[in-house]
Amino acid sequence: MNVKYLNPFVEAAYEVLTQETGTNIQRGELALENGSYVTDDVTVIIALVGAVEGNVFYSMSQTTAVQLASRMMDEKLRTLDSLAQSGIAELSNVITGRASMKLSDSGFEATISPPTLLIGKGASISTLDFPRVLVPLQTSEGNMVVHLALRQGARTGLKTSQMAVPSSPLS
Amino acid sequence: MNVEILKPFVEGAAEVLEFEVKTKVEKGNLSLQKSALTTDDVTVLLTLVGDIRGVVLFSLVKEVGLRMVSRILEQEFLELDSMAQSGIAELGNVITGKATVKLSKAGYHVNISPPTVITGKDVKISTLDFSRIVVPLKTELGTMEIHLAVREDKQNQMSTADDFAEPVEASVILQKA
Repeated sequence: MNVKYLNPFVEAAYEVLTQETGTNIQRGELALENGSYVTDDVTVIIALVGAVEGNVFYSMSQTTAVQLASRMMDEKLRTLDSLAQSGIAELSNVITGRASMKLSDSGFEATISPPTLLIGKGASISTLDFPRVLVPLQTSEGNMVVHLALRQGARTGLKTSQMAVPSSPLS
Repeated sequence: MNVEILKPFVEGAAEVLEFEVKTKVEKGNLSLQKSALTTDDVTVLLTLVGDIRGVVLFSLVKEVGLRMVSRILEQEFLELDSMAQSGIAELGNVITGKATVKLSKAGYHVNISPPTVITGKDVKISTLDFSRIVVPLKTELGTMEIHLAVREDKQNQMSTADDFAEPVEASVILQKA
């Protein structure tokens, strides 16, 4: 995977987590995985379509999810209820949105999908032929791992209206 | 949710299953679900962006998935190995691709994301504030469920400058005439 795709996500995750949850964040060792990913308690899935395409997962334990959601909403949440779920999904959505803006600044225009939340340990998620880069983020509320399974889009997102048209027929 | 959005998926699925898996397809009763989906053995997840945004899920029991893949690839599969997973993902991808072609004919421009395959029973998938329309498709090999959690997002298209550029060109041509 192109390292140009990686940095926007690390930066965005850092910025958003610091702003929204006020935690201290440290990046762990990067890893590359080819097999399927066996889920942690909570996983948010967001897809990218455009000049960069693929999937991004944000995985964490239930405790971390509840803690982060509590911090975000400034309210003590105890269980992973629908409010906490929506908070975690939104957090991932904001991180991905910000990363996609950074990607677009470096010339990779991409649209992001709405988030999907997966709850339950032990399922396995396969991104098929996309290898995944794992970015562990250590926060004071626990670890969050960002999985990036991205590649250059087959469709570059060029619309017919953006294609160059000669002003007169070629002779 | 608009029926115009639902129909392309049901038709697309029926066409693809009939062609690739060579089975008759019968549509079961539709239902609307708000709570999280508790997964069957295999779930293919694809997302749509563009004039329609949301998630499409194809949910299958392991045996049904294996039977379908065996038919598609004309080879007996007994385990959900990476080849079988890739076959099931491709099936979901082709159905969704076909549906988007039909949607574009109806005036909705949609792009689809690469598929993700989730294996493992009893995991909950929540589409949050998107409610899901569930369409069971009965085939000779078993049932496949399509879950559609999508909504229209027409403004999305209007926000780009290029879309406003076209009418200007058209008016210039009109003036010349």
